[in-house]
Amino acid sequence: MLEVTLIYGFVNSVILALVALGFSLTFGISGVSNFAYGAMYVLAGYVVWILMHKLAIPFFAAAALSVVLTAGLGAALYWFVLLRVRGMVLSEVIATFGVGLAILELFRYLGFTGFEYTLPSFTDGSIMIGSTYLDYQRVWIVGVGVFLAVGLYFFTHYTKLGLAFRGIAQEEKTALSLGINSDRVAGISVAFGSGLAAVAAILILPRGTISVNEGYDVLINAMAVCIIGGLGSTPGVIVASFIIGYAQMITDTFLGPHWKMIVSLVAILLILVIKPSGLFGKQKELEERM
Amino acid sequence: MLEVTNLLVFYENAVALNDFSMKVDAGRLVAVIGSNSAGKTTFMNTVSGLIVHTRTKEIRKGGERITLYGQVTFNGEDITALQPNERVEKGLVLCRERHPIFPESDLVENLKIAGYLRKRSEVRETIDYVFHLFPTLERLKTRKAGFLSGGEQQMVAIGMTLMVKPLLLLLDEPLLGLSPIMQKTLVDAVVKMREEAGLTIVITEQFARPILPIIDFGYIIENGMLTMQGTGAELMDSPEVKAAYFGV
Repeated sequence: MLEVTLIYGFVNSVILALVALGFSLTFGISGVSNFAYGAMYVLAGYVVWILMHKLAIPFFAAAALSVVLTAGLGAALYWFVLLRVRGMVLSEVIATFGVGLAILELFRYLGFTGFEYTLPSFTDGSIMIGSTYLDYQRVWIVGVGVFLAVGLYFFTHYTKLGLAFRGIAQEEKTALSLGINSDRVAGISVAFGSGLAAVAAILILPRGTISVNEGYDVLINAMAVCIIGGLGSTPGVIVASFIIGYAQMITDTFLGPHWKMIVSLVAILLILVIKPSGLFGKQKELEERM
Repeated sequence: MLEVTNLLVFYENAVALNDFSMKVDAGRLVAVIGSNSAGKTTFMNTVSGLIVHTRTKEIRKGGERITLYGQVTFNGEDITALQPNERVEKGLVLCRERHPIFPESDLVENLKIAGYLRKRSEVRETIDYVFHLFPTLERLKTRKAGFLSGGEQQMVAIGMTLMVKPLLLLLDEPLLGLSPIMQKTLVDAVVKMREEAGLTIVITEQFARPILPIIDFGYIIENGMLTMQGTGAELMDSPEVKAAYFGV
């Protein structure tokens, strides 16, 4: 029992981290809002399904195509919606959240609900850890999740583009006067974040059916992880994922599955009361100390 | 190298710069001196293109507040309509006023972000040069830039512009809010980097005293209008400058 909680808690934590990475890249690290993130996630899943079942494209090609299309949609969201309201945070949030709502409810309207909307897992089978079965899909999730988290850390600390993401988040005018084209960099950031949402969706969705509601859950979880970890911090994302991941698993085991969703909401409230900048947050930390 | 002709800038109906012309030859150190609200920062933003970016943003949002007339040429090329990043690629780099740094990144990371346009090896080299120019910064390497003192932040800000390897460096009020000793350190550094890196430099300042002895040529502006120009020595001897800037 304890072993199951530990192992599946770990998997659950990595899933949270995977879901939050794209959101953290766009909103946390680059300071550009993308609250259509949950919609991008669900959309990527449906795109794969449509490509496979309507156009008979093989799974891996469909998956790759879906990642590219979702990233493209992110870029389009930036150029056609975000660019006009850039710099006004509240407007950015409202505009992208509105786009997200439109995408999600469009899928609901078109009747994309039901048990036939599932994605295949990468490889079938499972391994035994101790006396617990763990299917290969979850092993894939853990592998890719760890790889992407480490990759993101190095990307934002050691590559020019990653450093530019952090630059435009802190002082746009200074970034501009150093030759960083802030509009283009911010657009790339939204596209990357959306692409990461698609990767997460393709890995995670085979565990169940694709549903419109998952879009809202994903957004809430991603937000919770980023706020608790502290906006802009990749280690924060990992630590927060494990805190929420295990908290959810324990709640699930001992209180019942219907309490699970409340964990991240309570966590957001608690952290905002105790330490608003988050566990590893850099944003606002300076103001708090002064 | 840089030539500004008949620059006229309006914010809505307020004139910020009125028919201002100036010229900087390669290798010279030129100052634009004036009191608060004389139009120094507007001048810098116009030359660096930040004002064009602000204007683009306003147009996207559906308003237009800034009006711009006149011409800015750099190495014989008309750059009046270029965005700031395009001007930086040509070698025209601005260090904004009030020590602009990235407060949440540490010192070395600030310099790395600033090296966006440069190759990795160049970035490493120039970081060493910045530490050579400002030895104080070496031991603050891992300090978060937001926690540095004003003078140290100004050094970082100048270091950041050096990372871009500019041909023409614009320094907007580098001495603002600094102690006299820190002002001296920075003025010495400006002279040093001009000699060592062969930079052409334009400084705007309201503290004329530490600046006038080191410049080749100076322009004095009041309310956006050019009132006087001359070499450093000429300006120092002028009774008007003495009265307005030295309090004699």
